[in-house]
Amino acid sequence: MDAKPPAHDPLTRRQFLGNGARLLAMTGLGAAAGALASRASGAGWVWQIDPAKCLHCGNCATQCVLEQSAVKCVHAYAVCGYCQLCTGFFWPEPNQLTTAAENQVCPTAAIRRRYVEDPYYQYSIDETLCIGCAKCVEGCTRFGNGSLFLQVRHDRCLHCNECAIARTCPGEAFRRVPAGQPYLLKTTSR
Amino acid sequence: MKPEFELFDRREFLGVVTRAAALFGLAGGAKAVAGGQGTANPFAYDISRFQKTDPKLITYEETSRWPIPHKEARRLAMGPDGQLYVCAGNYINGLSRTGQGGLELALAGPAWCVAVAPDGAIFAGLRDHIEVYDSKGGRVARWESPDPKTWFSGLAAGRQDVFAADARKLVVLRYDRSGRIIGRIGRKDAERNVPGLIAPSPFLDVMIHRDGLLRVNNPGRHRVEAYTFDGDLEGAWGKAAASIEGFCGCCNPIGLAALGDGRIVTCEKGIPRVKIYSAEGEFESVVAGSESFPENAHVCNDLNDCVNGGLDAAADGAGRIYILDIVAGNVRVMKRKD
Repeated sequence: MDAKPPAHDPLTRRQFLGNGARLLAMTGLGAAAGALASRASGAGWVWQIDPAKCLHCGNCATQCVLEQSAVKCVHAYAVCGYCQLCTGFFWPEPNQLTTAAENQVCPTAAIRRRYVEDPYYQYSIDETLCIGCAKCVEGCTRFGNGSLFLQVRHDRCLHCNECAIARTCPGEAFRRVPAGQPYLLKTTSR
Repeated sequence: MKPEFELFDRREFLGVVTRAAALFGLAGGAKAVAGGQGTANPFAYDISRFQKTDPKLITYEETSRWPIPHKEARRLAMGPDGQLYVCAGNYINGLSRTGQGGLELALAGPAWCVAVAPDGAIFAGLRDHIEVYDSKGGRVARWESPDPKTWFSGLAAGRQDVFAADARKLVVLRYDRSGRIIGRIGRKDAERNVPGLIAPSPFLDVMIHRDGLLRVNNPGRHRVEAYTFDGDLEGAWGKAAASIEGFCGCCNPIGLAALGDGRIVTCEKGIPRVKIYSAEGEFESVVAGSESFPENAHVCNDLNDCVNGGLDAAADGAGRIYILDIVAGNVRVMKRKD
């Protein structure tokens, strides 16, 4: 008796492997396209801090998902008064106007003080040390011109869809800005 | 036979549950604080000890307070007629001691300072030039800008001279009454032993003292300096300190006034306060401490320099002191306590 032909032609081993490879390739392509699409939509806008709304609450140092916050103090030199007694650098009543640790506001000594000429000093931020705590920002804003302020640094920011700092920001200072202009910088009216 | 595991009795069970709940509660609280839902800021810039004034040092009390007619106030001056002159926005208003309106000058731009001469002439310091008005408000002259960067922030007017403090060029210009510049005061000059004015923000002030010398605040050096009309530095006093006898922050005092007996009234920002010193610079007492100006601490509300805060003061012949709160937009009338 003749054997009945099978209802469907069985796949050969070669065909099976070929189909598997095509499926894998398509899945990979789909995933890549999805990732690209997701990136493309995220790249249009990024998180930034509006310095005019920042309350210097300290949350930027504690709430970022990164171990060391992506928020850093930045310095608008055009706004700065180059003060000898900079209240962003020194406590309001320092023992001496020296860089000794007990005189400094910054908990990580992230501000560098450099003599320019009597009685002016330049202050710069070492971003590798800055934790974004805003202590210096409060001192500078309260007494001085407000040249020190916080910004999200986009070389560090992970661009979380829901920023962990923004969620707890009491001043609602976090907002989305165009990725092409990712910073809200201070200027001088002088 | 002793059981292998001792069972909890009810009391022990409840104790364990309570302790566990307490631990969870503590952990939750700490997270809430760290999460910004609490009020504790582990990085707080704490100046609270400087914001409370010893009541024994306060020798004045507020008798009235009234709003000024326009926003963006800058300076206050006392006129020879006993009227107060306030510059705010594009206006200068002559006001009675109770804040009742009189003369109003509408200017072409924001006024940063004002002074009234003994003959009643009114000098308005716009940012880069001075406008002169007669006592009835008629414009007499416009003195052109001495420098494109000029930022006038203080004025004083005498019988023959007008002094204009330029916070950008760090100089006090001496004008004659025709508007001609006849002297420059306060510029760094080693030969004349003048260290130079330092004004990180536009709060340089000048006044004519009864002793015939000028008084100029030097905020970056935390002191008040006395100059002759010709620009010789005759003396200086003041020290940097957040405590009450000094001038706080990076740059104070920001405003000056004089009482009839020659004592000097100073105004500060950051820790906003108004104090009295002897003519020689010895701290005497407090007119109003920082607890009187709760709105005046944070004044950085745009992306420009923080120059929108602070106080100014004027005094009348009866010893009353009038304090202009730039942020709140009002004037407080202060009388010495009996």
